[in-house]
Amino acid sequence: MNDMTPTREQREAALEGMGCKRKRVEDVRFTQGKGQYVDDLKLPGMVFGDFVRSPYAHAKVTKIDATEALKIPGVIAVLTAEDLKGVNLAWMPTLAGDVQMVLADGKVLYQNQEVAFVVAEDRYIADDAIQLVEVEYEELPVLVDPFQSMAPDAPVLRPDLEGKTEGAHGPRKHHNHIFNWGVGDKDETAKAFSEADVTIKELISYHRTHPSPLETCQCVASMDKVKGELTVYGTFQAPHVIRTVASLLSTIPEHKIHVIAPDIGGGFGNKVGAYPGYICAIVASIVTGIPVKWVEDRMENLSTTSFARDYHMTTEIAAKNDGTVTGLKVHVLADHGGFDACADPSKWPAGFFNIVTGSYDFPTAHLEVDGVYTNKAPGGVAYRCSFRVTEAAYCIERAMDILAQKLDMDPADLRLKNFVKPEQFPYQSALGWEYDSGDYHTAMHKAMDTIGYRELRAEQKAKQEAFKRGETREIMGIGVSFFTEIVGAGPSKNCDILGVAMFDSAEIRVHPTGSVISRMGTKSQGQGHETTWAQIIATEIGIPAADIMVEEGNTDTAPYGLGTYGSRSTPVAGAAIALAARKIRNKAQMIAAHMLEVSEYDLEWDIDGFQVKGNPQARKSMKEIAWAAYHAPPPNMEPGLEAVSYYDPPNMTYPFGAYFCVMDIDVDTGVAKTRRFYALDDCGTRINPMIIEGQVHGGLTEAFAIAMGQEITYDEMGNVMGASFMDFFIPTAVETPHWETDHTVTPSPHHPIGAKGVGESPNVGGVPAFSNAVNDAFQFMGSTHIQMPHDAWRIWQAAKDLGAHG
Amino acid sequence: MQMTDSQRIAASRDKVWEALNDPEVLKASIPGCEELIKHSDTELEAKVKLKVGPVKATFGGKVNLNDLDPPNGYTIEGEGSGGVAGFARGSAKVHLEADGPNATILSYEVDAKIGGKLAQLGSRLIDSTAKRLAGEFFTSFGEQVAPSAPEADVEEAAADANSEPAEEKKKGWFGGLFGGGKKDDGAEAPAE
Repeated sequence: MNDMTPTREQREAALEGMGCKRKRVEDVRFTQGKGQYVDDLKLPGMVFGDFVRSPYAHAKVTKIDATEALKIPGVIAVLTAEDLKGVNLAWMPTLAGDVQMVLADGKVLYQNQEVAFVVAEDRYIADDAIQLVEVEYEELPVLVDPFQSMAPDAPVLRPDLEGKTEGAHGPRKHHNHIFNWGVGDKDETAKAFSEADVTIKELISYHRTHPSPLETCQCVASMDKVKGELTVYGTFQAPHVIRTVASLLSTIPEHKIHVIAPDIGGGFGNKVGAYPGYICAIVASIVTGIPVKWVEDRMENLSTTSFARDYHMTTEIAAKNDGTVTGLKVHVLADHGGFDACADPSKWPAGFFNIVTGSYDFPTAHLEVDGVYTNKAPGGVAYRCSFRVTEAAYCIERAMDILAQKLDMDPADLRLKNFVKPEQFPYQSALGWEYDSGDYHTAMHKAMDTIGYRELRAEQKAKQEAFKRGETREIMGIGVSFFTEIVGAGPSKNCDILGVAMFDSAEIRVHPTGSVISRMGTKSQGQGHETTWAQIIATEIGIPAADIMVEEGNTDTAPYGLGTYGSRSTPVAGAAIALAARKIRNKAQMIAAHMLEVSEYDLEWDIDGFQVKGNPQARKSMKEIAWAAYHAPPPNMEPGLEAVSYYDPPNMTYPFGAYFCVMDIDVDTGVAKTRRFYALDDCGTRINPMIIEGQVHGGLTEAFAIAMGQEITYDEMGNVMGASFMDFFIPTAVETPHWETDHTVTPSPHHPIGAKGVGESPNVGGVPAFSNAVNDAFQFMGSTHIQMPHDAWRIWQAAKDLGAHG
Repeated sequence: MQMTDSQRIAASRDKVWEALNDPEVLKASIPGCEELIKHSDTELEAKVKLKVGPVKATFGGKVNLNDLDPPNGYTIEGEGSGGVAGFARGSAKVHLEADGPNATILSYEVDAKIGGKLAQLGSRLIDSTAKRLAGEFFTSFGEQVAPSAPEADVEEAAADANSEPAEEKKKGWFGGLFGGGKKDDGAEAPAE
């Protein structure tokens, strides 16, 4: 070996494969303002659509008169539900098995609901025309409190469902009832409670909020009437599903629809579903034959397309005196708004909320969820979480703290006592999941040691005494959160969207010169897929990541996949990528054997090529093999070097983590300062530690926002009050605490590379850490539970109610 | 939104009562009122221009006079729609009490509700805006009935209503920048 021959370490480093802190390749264009987003698109002759929206939360629409609007020069059309009825699109199916109005058909069910679609030559003309569309409303009684939805005299929100006693998920028991979903053993759980030493019960609410990505939802629809082809550019987290739905609804054959998702400025669940804006833009383009652009403004985004959460969880735990939990009972009242447009896999009306037993070994549990209609916007998306997992994690983590308080036990010790033990994996939970792997005790101990948990508790105790003596007006809270997520939807045996199994896919083509193009069914919205997918391929086939181009979002070129949400990309598409790469490596091995004139079984893989066992000098690099694949393939072998893989995961993956928040609260102002926030994540095999750290930082910042102030509220008239950034809390660098991140690694045993997914863990684990910190601070005053969000005003109010203001 | 207040007017109770039923006086007193058509003794139709925070709209709607109890008072109720800007409805219970032969104490109880974009963007400003509007109404009204002070405000209001739309728009702009709007925005800042 001479000096010029790279060492094994150098060859390995040159790949920038898995485990490498590779810089994000997409940032080259993003940081220079060269990203290509939907609103950057300008097609020749393109026109603009915008909505007339309802100022009322609940009203009959008795008349829509567009005469004056149509007189404005530049106004092309004003679409109403009557026009859409002509193409059978006045209503559209939702992912949850309900139907939703595209444009108001006789009534409106929430404020800002789409009433008419104005198409004009520019956005300003459209806006002027909107002012002139005369709509007559007849007000109806407004229902905003989900606890009143099923009152006997509650107003009928959905006359279209009148008399329908069977919903998409079983019987309906009231005209505003959507579904009842039960899981677990009711009798066993009742028995556990009757035999318990100690029980707790609390209504734990997770308020309505919104993913609010920087870029709102938008699309450009362009119908080529000559070719009969429709192209739709849009902010789609799941472009292939959008194409299938568009084909089913429009009856244009699927191969004549081209759906393209260009760069996306954040999704967080907001861009999974189909919205009236897409339908109207598509219909308008089909009718006129010219491209139509629709772009939401911020208020439209916050008040109409897909809220998140709004779960009211009555939670009970049964336990022994020593803290051992013996049963869990949860009833959820789920506020779905005017239509059930939750984006969950079809068979799961409450998503994977049955992960609510969390990280604890509950011998038995029972869960019931009732979904109801209210005069609020539809949605219920997984805002940076797997389906309803954030709600479940908040529910159990808050409840465990309440139990610890009742038992006068330390909340960390209570968790350690009840964790599922390492030897119990794969673990069968009481509510039906099989946890793949975990080592909760190691993670928890590492976290407690790192932050000095016992010392912090001693400091807190001293501060409480000082507060009681009147020496300080500041109190201290320590928020403990240990979450288990369920991500990677999902196995075809139990996960589908509108009948399409939730697999994902990858296609890899190695060119003759040894560079690669690779396409997936997923779609990055900022997750950095172009960087990390290339790293997986680099490690698997020994071609440097820099020579691998990743492309997503074009349904004409990418293999069919279900898209990116619910932390499913790495668990599902990541596996497909590894398996497609292994197909290539297998073929490469046969080619290398031919080149070296040995049996393929005499070869071994070595970082970036194959070498003869016991004779490492006899080797062929992947670059050489790639050339041979096109130049001189072995006899009887097809030339070329490419592979496709569709991966149907055998199980979900179960990332977990231990988060601690230390907070100081001024009881007189309600201002809460986060002194420390420590997040330990175990997402199995780590593909790019830098991207993981970035994901955790972003998710924690969202968790901070949600827990400490972000909320969509409604007044008694159904006015939506959180629909602008005047009211909706988006933390800036000024408010955001410093994040300390850490990790353990417990690979997933069933995943080809052992990775579990991480994007949403910090949102799932972060919210309970913040809320538990606030609640922990007030516990010594006798408080059991303070509802989120914990903005300064509410904290001040809580302090006042507890008599802390003297 | 609710508020109560009272005001002393230097005129007899009968005179005040008469003015309360005179559409011309009401029109000149209602801030931003562009039109007030009397259909009967108790039914009127109004067009009012209103600005709450960043939202400006012209409201068209009905005004009803209820619980008439001359000369002690009545309830004035209104309901109007401002198109995409939203809607507003409200009532004011007005009570008159003689304060000697030449003066009257006018007290009022206002209950108002707003909806739509007005409420979404202007909710935090609605209380201060409503107080300002009520104050403006009763000040103008007092001046109509007992014109001791200069009538500048009233004239301005009338001129407003007759001016060209383009000019009106411009004025609204400047008003928003330097007038009440600025004050409202200032009041809102500390809440951020």
